[in-house]
Amino acid sequence: MDFALLHDAFWGLTFDGIALGAIYALISLGYTLVYGVLRLINFAHSEVFMIGTFAALVASSGLMGVKVEDEPRTGVSMILTLLVCLVVAMLASAITAVLVEIVAYRRLRQRGATKLATLISAIGVSISLVELFRILTDSLPREFPRIMEKTFLFSYAGADIRNDKVIVIIAAGLMMFALERFITKSRLGKGIRAVSMDENTSTLMGVNINRVITVTFFAGGLMAGAAAFFYILVYENTSFKVGFFLGISAFTAAVLGGIGNLKGALFGGFALGLMETWTSAVFGTAWKAVISFIILVLVLLIKPTGLFGESIQQARV
Amino acid sequence: MADKKQRINLRDRGAEYWERSPKWRRVAMAIFFIAVCYALPFLNNPLINTPGSDFQSVLFYPVGMYVLMAIGLNIVVGKSGLLDLGYVAFFAIGAYTMAILGTKTALNFWEIMPIGIGLAMLSGVLLGTPTLRLRGDYLAIVTLGFGEIVRIFAVNTDSIGGSRGIAGIPTPPDIFKAKFTILDPKPYYWVLLTFTLLVIWMVRRMAARRPGRAWDAIRQDDDVAQLMGIDTRKYKVWAFVLGAAVAGMGGVIYASQILSIVPDQFNLNISILILACVVFGGIGNVWGVILGAVLLAFTPERIRFLSQPRILVFGIALVVMMNLRPDGILPKKKREHFDPDWHTVEESGEGQTK
Amino acid sequence: MSENVLELQNITMKFGGVTALNDVNLVVKKGEILALIGPNGAGKTTVFNVITGVYKPTSGDVVFQGSSIVGKKRFKITKLGIARTFQNIRLFGESSALENVVTGADVHSKTGVIGSIFGTPRSRREEKAALDRALELLDFMGIKKRAGQLGKNLPYGDQRRLEIARALATNPKLLLLDEPAAGFNPAEKVALGETIKRIRDTGYTVLLIEHDMSLIMGVSDRVVVLDFGTKIADGTTKEVQNDPRVIEAYLGAPADAS
Repeated sequence: MDFALLHDAFWGLTFDGIALGAIYALISLGYTLVYGVLRLINFAHSEVFMIGTFAALVASSGLMGVKVEDEPRTGVSMILTLLVCLVVAMLASAITAVLVEIVAYRRLRQRGATKLATLISAIGVSISLVELFRILTDSLPREFPRIMEKTFLFSYAGADIRNDKVIVIIAAGLMMFALERFITKSRLGKGIRAVSMDENTSTLMGVNINRVITVTFFAGGLMAGAAAFFYILVYENTSFKVGFFLGISAFTAAVLGGIGNLKGALFGGFALGLMETWTSAVFGTAWKAVISFIILVLVLLIKPTGLFGESIQQARV
Repeated sequence: MADKKQRINLRDRGAEYWERSPKWRRVAMAIFFIAVCYALPFLNNPLINTPGSDFQSVLFYPVGMYVLMAIGLNIVVGKSGLLDLGYVAFFAIGAYTMAILGTKTALNFWEIMPIGIGLAMLSGVLLGTPTLRLRGDYLAIVTLGFGEIVRIFAVNTDSIGGSRGIAGIPTPPDIFKAKFTILDPKPYYWVLLTFTLLVIWMVRRMAARRPGRAWDAIRQDDDVAQLMGIDTRKYKVWAFVLGAAVAGMGGVIYASQILSIVPDQFNLNISILILACVVFGGIGNVWGVILGAVLLAFTPERIRFLSQPRILVFGIALVVMMNLRPDGILPKKKREHFDPDWHTVEESGEGQTK
Repeated sequence: MSENVLELQNITMKFGGVTALNDVNLVVKKGEILALIGPNGAGKTTVFNVITGVYKPTSGDVVFQGSSIVGKKRFKITKLGIARTFQNIRLFGESSALENVVTGADVHSKTGVIGSIFGTPRSRREEKAALDRALELLDFMGIKKRAGQLGKNLPYGDQRRLEIARALATNPKLLLLDEPAAGFNPAEKVALGETIKRIRDTGYTVLLIEHDMSLIMGVSDRVVVLDFGTKIADGTTKEVQNDPRVIEAYLGAPADAS
């Protein structure tokens, strides 16, 4: 246990934690949105994220012709490349999310299947996607080229502020803001909120449930795709199993904040990013995943409503 | 009323035939079936031969082992409706118990077995008790976490082998002339089969009686089950514990055959594979589960090209099964009339009121 | 005092800002059929939920056969002798009718998991006793022929009857029926009324929520009226029928709700 490291590098770790937290927050928005309308944990969301990273990869090499060994780009070329990869990742994830809904959930939902059956179907989709990509990538991780030169912008209290992480934090913030506007102002967004409150009444009020659900998955997918791009920008690699642990962490973040609650997902994401980064410094990175699980279990046992959410544990007779 | 496709009624037809048979016929059928199971390793038929692996060895693992584990997980997921995604953890605990005690003490397989089962059961209590109140999806994630934590713990703890695992696990002592060596899986298979039959016997007895009814009630409506006087906490913990015991049992046997284990063997995929077997079997249906396990374990071995993308096939199978056939391969038929002779309470034929 | 099977003493039930029950007092006497009526949303099912331990009252006490049962676990309350049916039918749909009722009868078995595995003589006795009782009850409710059918496949009326059989199987001292006649036609309601009376005559005490006035008047000994969580009347059927506050709460004529 290395508390000295935590102490010395505190602000640096905190900055890293916020960047990581931004990524978690974006992914956990997907979990929380789907939970809001379907009262269901979208097990396959982690693969939606994973596919986003590979889409960014394909976009960079296939569309923009960047090779791993290339020098970083500059100026307009750099911005263009980054944007293309971002957009491709977001779209790929969003489309994957919608496909997941159609394949794994829709039929069961319309038939009124048990939660158990739906969950198993989701797990099936999840492992199928993981395995598919494992086979496609031959179990090997893939590198992402450095499109942007990573420079330290400035130092603050011993923390080196790197440009890519700054971009991640700012861009993520913009996305969350955009999502929030969408949810509160747009007609579809209101539909989503209505359905999460009361599905039956919403139908009676003329809300097209299927469309709302599709849009919800799409929106969650967009966020996950953005997170995927930011992830691969910062960490520069991905593999078929990247979704698993990040998914667990992001899910924990959603639960921590109160599942079904958007603000909670944001808060939970940043909180978890910080907690993981700090504890990794103290205990070493091998135990990182365990930290998430422990936090998850603690939250579920002590305050299952999360910090901002409402309880769904009550009996209904 | 016209019968639907033959296949749908197979289970109930079989069940009805069984129930209507006089005791001597039942005993004869049972003995025949058991004898066939024991004789399986000697079967040498091009239809069932497994290219790439020795058939006898495949019988032991994965077929026999999956069958045993699926029966165990069935109690938890199939009957009680508790979605446990970390089942492999109990298997690992059994295997590690055999590995550690086998290499560090003078205890033999038979002495270690109850310890392995006991430790697995204890873990079942530890996992089950705090998670009782959790709803379906949360329980799934927490149990998944448990499974992963056990594995990560094993990888990072050097005193139990770390990521390299443990080697040099002793084989069980000879029984009469039968030697347990890595070259001959037959005695292992017979030991596994014997334990499996024992477990099946126990499970069927429980399922037909109060515990089975309690688990069915809990699965269908936990709140109402409580209001009907069922102590759901107690039965849920029991389900976990019994499931864990079976997996632990399997783990001990597995370790004593494979003779060296590494923690990454005990991963999430195995939990999912066993879950797939249970799903194929339908709700709480022991025979369906066994059939599912045999099919899912055997087919990738038999059909080589399926072996590589085995897990992908499993995943797709899960989705397909849930969407098309959520009741499993052998679902219950809807009985249109009540025949009191049918609905006996015990195998022995007691309990009929007419 | 020992005459009262159940007493609700100053029960108040609040959910956040909503007061579902406001200082409700009521008494159920041994061997009577007490009807609990009131407009929709008056809090009648909430009373059932408080009694059976689904909700813990914000304040007040529930005294069953002389002892307080507030805060006790639900299954313990059922073991003590309170059983119920549900407004929206809550059967074990995937189990057969017989299995549903036997599950109720299991309450008083002492056999546990170990006993079941080894087939002890006691376990066999209890198994047979539970099965016999279940068949008896199915017969009593007139649905013996449905014994082998899955709960979800039964016609609506039989499902309601099955729920009652299942509740009776727990051998309750107090039976709570939540709108048992909902969806029945007049003839079925009359038959149900007779059955409820027979249940009472067999020795059970019944607390009944219903909307159908003729059923209530024909069957109940006493009536308690709730409105917006407050008790507004309590007395014999005649007294309550003529009580102006009750009439007002129902806006005039008692409707035959189906």
